[in-house]
Amino acid sequence: MPLETEVLGMFAFTAVAFFGVASWALVRTLRQEGRKVELLEHQDVMDTYSPTALAELREWIDRNPDDPYVDDAREQYNACVDALKTTDRRFYDWSDDDVESLERL
Amino acid sequence: MSNADAKTARAEWGTRFGFLMAMIGAMVGAGNIWRFPFVTGENGGGAFLIAFLVLLFLLAVPGLMAEVALGRYTNKGVIGAFRDVVGSGGLVGFGIVVLLVNVALMSYYSPLIGWTLYYAVHSLLFTFTASGFEAVEFMDAFFANPALMIGLHTVIMAAIAAVLILGIRRGLERFVVFAVPALVFALVVMMVRGLTLDGAGEGVSFLFSVQWEYLTYSETWIAALGQALFSTGLGWGIALTVGSYLREYDDVPLGGGVFTAIGESSVGILAALAIFPIVFAVGLEPDAGAALAFVSLVQVFPEIPLGGLVAILFFVGFFLATFTSGLLITEVSVTTVAEETRFSRTQTVLGVCGGIWLLGIPSAYSVEVLDYLDFVFGNWGLPLATLAIVLVIGWVMGPERLRLLSVNKNAGIHVGHWWNPVVKFVIPAVMIFIMAYFAYDAYGTAEMIGGMVVLVTFPIVGYVLMSVVDGDERRPAGEVTGGDD
Repeated sequence: MPLETEVLGMFAFTAVAFFGVASWALVRTLRQEGRKVELLEHQDVMDTYSPTALAELREWIDRNPDDPYVDDAREQYNACVDALKTTDRRFYDWSDDDVESLERL
Repeated sequence: MSNADAKTARAEWGTRFGFLMAMIGAMVGAGNIWRFPFVTGENGGGAFLIAFLVLLFLLAVPGLMAEVALGRYTNKGVIGAFRDVVGSGGLVGFGIVVLLVNVALMSYYSPLIGWTLYYAVHSLLFTFTASGFEAVEFMDAFFANPALMIGLHTVIMAAIAAVLILGIRRGLERFVVFAVPALVFALVVMMVRGLTLDGAGEGVSFLFSVQWEYLTYSETWIAALGQALFSTGLGWGIALTVGSYLREYDDVPLGGGVFTAIGESSVGILAALAIFPIVFAVGLEPDAGAALAFVSLVQVFPEIPLGGLVAILFFVGFFLATFTSGLLITEVSVTTVAEETRFSRTQTVLGVCGGIWLLGIPSAYSVEVLDYLDFVFGNWGLPLATLAIVLVIGWVMGPERLRLLSVNKNAGIHVGHWWNPVVKFVIPAVMIFIMAYFAYDAYGTAEMIGGMVVLVTFPIVGYVLMSVVDGDERRPAGEVTGGDD
């Protein structure tokens, strides 16, 4: 039985939306792991937050100085800043100017 | 809260691939083989897939991210993670609820894994393609043999114990990195075989013809909701437990959320493409449920070319799907109990598996008991467990804190503020809706009464138990539970 165009179209959409997205996520995350392992072997530590995520973390710390989780947040923020200041290779898309402007909390 | 001590001696996944396969292996189970294809075809085919995809991204992906992130942040099993967030006292008992639901779930899932093992062994013996084979008589004789069913349940729990005793890396990870790709390979080969049969196109049309009007039916969305939430294992504690063994530099959103939800669903679609062309090519009823696998398909293997080989691929793949789920469901209890007691991992595995074995005997003895428990825990127990986890994250810890401290740390993709209201409001509301809907739908039945008993007693048991024992001396946080590091 020949398949209708609509069925074939839905089949193609499903292939992209499910198999395509799953394959993309698998390849991307495994590649990222490869890069992380390489960085860690090279310099032992690496940046743990993207510029956007670190800026959000900083903003939250400033807005919630008495939060019970703020010490942990500050520790994670400082660990990322330390890693950025002491390493020459980065996982996320940080510019030298961005790193220069960062300070420990 | 400090995680420092927790990170010193705890097992970790050896590779990211191992973690991903564990997540997929846990989520792909019996429901993917016989439920997903039929639900899709019966609810508008392509229209259902669109509704399903929307709900996956709206609920399952954010929910799984939350669960994995909490596990990674606390580096603890269900109760330990809850204690880190809630503090000590009765509310930690929400963790007990998740634990009880997992144990109950596994008690009737183990006999079902035993069915798949029995059929897998017989497929390897080419029983189904032997002359004079009668599928209905074969199944009736099997179900009428309680000693055999209990024996298989025993073998399954012993095999699960054997793998889990080896630990996270040497046991679980080594098994899943082979089992999950083997399952996918089996489904792909079977799909190719099925699609080349005369009349297979009808099965493809059943799955992918788009009946747009179905998107306006509430039944379509409720069916898609159930599939999106329960097939991905959201809120069972599995994602939390698997996430608790993540390494510090691993990513949560991409692997723990997107890949797990979409990858698991992709395996479901693959199973549909493997089974339904055969179902339609030989004129079987697509809505046969469990009987589709254990009666209908068994009848057609002798009729199709290379049927013996297809039977092996199907039943061995089916067994691997159910067994890996069973391993991870049991690991939730093992991790948690090992952390909360002074027992070694080996002692804990033996105790947990022994307890599940004992509780599973009624389900192994009677298929009716198994069906009853499946209905009760599928419709009320699992939503209750999910509700417990998302309430702790959404209303006690707060999603913004978890997003900043764990979800976006070392993340492969950035998760924005949109995630917070989904975790705080949308997922809990959906879980309450599901429980209310099924209570209304099954009003006055024995199943509904069982569901209400679970809804009332599990939280009370958890609350009282944790009120009494929390505060007693426990082993130091983070002592080895994975067993091999």
